[in-house]
Amino acid sequence: MKVCTVILAVGMVIGAVTGAAAADPGNGRCLGCHGKSDIVRRGGERLHLDAARYSATSHAYIGCVTCHDSVTPRHPDDGTRPSKARCRECHAPVQAEYAGSDHAGNATCNDCHNPHEVRPMVAVSGDEVNAKCARCHDMRKTVKSHDKWLPQADLHIEALPCITCHTGSKNYVITMVIEQRMKGAPHNDFRPATYDELTRLLPQGGDVSRLIDTDGDGTVSLRELRAFNHGAHRKGLRLWGMMTPEVVTHTYQILDNRWDCSFCHASGPRAMQTSYLAFPDRTGRYTRVAVEKGAILDILYGTPDFYMLGTTRSTTLNIIGGLIVAAGLMMPVGHGTFRFLTRKNRKGD
Amino acid sequence: MKRTVYLTPMPVRIWHWLNAFGIVTLIVTALQIRFPDYVNIFGTYKAAIRLHNTAGVVVSISYALWLVYYLFVAGTLVKLYVPTADDLKHGLFRQAFYYFFTYFRGRPNPHHGTPDNKFNPLQKTAYLMIMIVLLPLVIVSGFLLMYVAPLREMILFIGGIKTLVSAHFLIACCFCAFLFVHIYLATLGHTPFAHFKPMWNGWEEVEEEEKPVAEPLSTRVPNPSRSEATCMTHAAGDS
Repeated sequence: MKVCTVILAVGMVIGAVTGAAAADPGNGRCLGCHGKSDIVRRGGERLHLDAARYSATSHAYIGCVTCHDSVTPRHPDDGTRPSKARCRECHAPVQAEYAGSDHAGNATCNDCHNPHEVRPMVAVSGDEVNAKCARCHDMRKTVKSHDKWLPQADLHIEALPCITCHTGSKNYVITMVIEQRMKGAPHNDFRPATYDELTRLLPQGGDVSRLIDTDGDGTVSLRELRAFNHGAHRKGLRLWGMMTPEVVTHTYQILDNRWDCSFCHASGPRAMQTSYLAFPDRTGRYTRVAVEKGAILDILYGTPDFYMLGTTRSTTLNIIGGLIVAAGLMMPVGHGTFRFLTRKNRKGD
Repeated sequence: MKRTVYLTPMPVRIWHWLNAFGIVTLIVTALQIRFPDYVNIFGTYKAAIRLHNTAGVVVSISYALWLVYYLFVAGTLVKLYVPTADDLKHGLFRQAFYYFFTYFRGRPNPHHGTPDNKFNPLQKTAYLMIMIVLLPLVIVSGFLLMYVAPLREMILFIGGIKTLVSAHFLIACCFCAFLFVHIYLATLGHTPFAHFKPMWNGWEEVEEEEKPVAEPLSTRVPNPSRSEATCMTHAAGDS
């Protein structure tokens, strides 16, 4: 068990650093058949896996045979079905945490996580998380049930991965993705743009993050955000932000403090300084690029379609509003003072 | 010599106080909605949101009643609220000069209200701006903010939710500023409450020597049979 955990930990670290290039070279023999769609005809959909997606997982680093350890050199002609490792053999703490949650009786690990495509939370979009939940939880019914107590339930469910409220996850940040206008998509005709769609917007080539991070310094400045947003609407694009957790837990439950809107809405602008832009690669894996601190609070063009009531308010706008109110107060204060001082002139009234 | 005249018909008074109550509720709830980390008046954030939305609906309905009343029942919207060429050329300056200079020297108000011209040029301009421009804008922006997901396309068309929220907030600040000015100017009658009374009971004391109005005014001989809807006289108020 310990060996397996060590292998996994090392694999995850190396996999995260080196990505697909670090995949076990032995995987090639398996993917020669299981990575081709022909295998569906021979044994069904369950035998096929997307080679590119699998290669981007940390499971690819530890290699196919780590989990399917009974596979023989004569496979598939040996007449046996290779064994499958259980998730808890490597992920015991997570499994124990999940087993104690309200969700444990309803779904197994594999119902939510495809081990051949699994990615860490930071490499997944909020939409993908919710799509997993929607496989069992009909979204229309979910909106309806939340609508009984949650103002604008449809908007909340579009802007939050379910796990943000229904797990004990922590350290929330705003993660934005580029969305493209698409009929019939969620978020009112917008859905996250794929890698291919983003590359087409970048005729000069290069990393897709250059669409916004134009100077390629690995950070998106407020100036770059504004420049992108100025032309985005014309191109049928927009930035869609979701409040995603940095630390994910598997403690699925209904948390009492999530009934209280102030859990998110009263945290103040200081809590909303950190945001990221996430760009997909050709395997669908997202890579985050840090956004300038506080850019999300910009009045207009920083993030024109992302606003969290009470939290992402703009200080500049507060000052302008305060000046307008103060100007209104000048009349009673200023005029009233002169009125008092000159009251003798109106004694006849 | 003073006499009392019936100046503010009941529909106008009901609308005014409904609107006033709604606007004050909107401002107070908005404080908690925008600054929840500093302000907690209504217990929970959701309570503030729900109350704000309800007050917004009340103000919207009250505005619709006001518009229908002045457009179709009284038919005096243009006459009362749109400044004339003379108002714009001379009236605005004359009235501002009175408020900021001659008032302090004890001179009389240059504007004398009549049923056909009950607001002074500054009032007309301010009310026109408030009732025909700002209030519809704040109502429409508020409605869009109440239904962000289904109305997303319209929100994107006007530049995104940040533009919408900014416009809603700044217009609300204008209303807040107007409220201070409005209440203060209402105290500039011959007594501090002279202009508040007609907005409460409909009757106001006026000086006998004032220029006679175009229509006969009802005097303070109680006459319950008088139709309030036909009596559109109003204070030559400063509010």
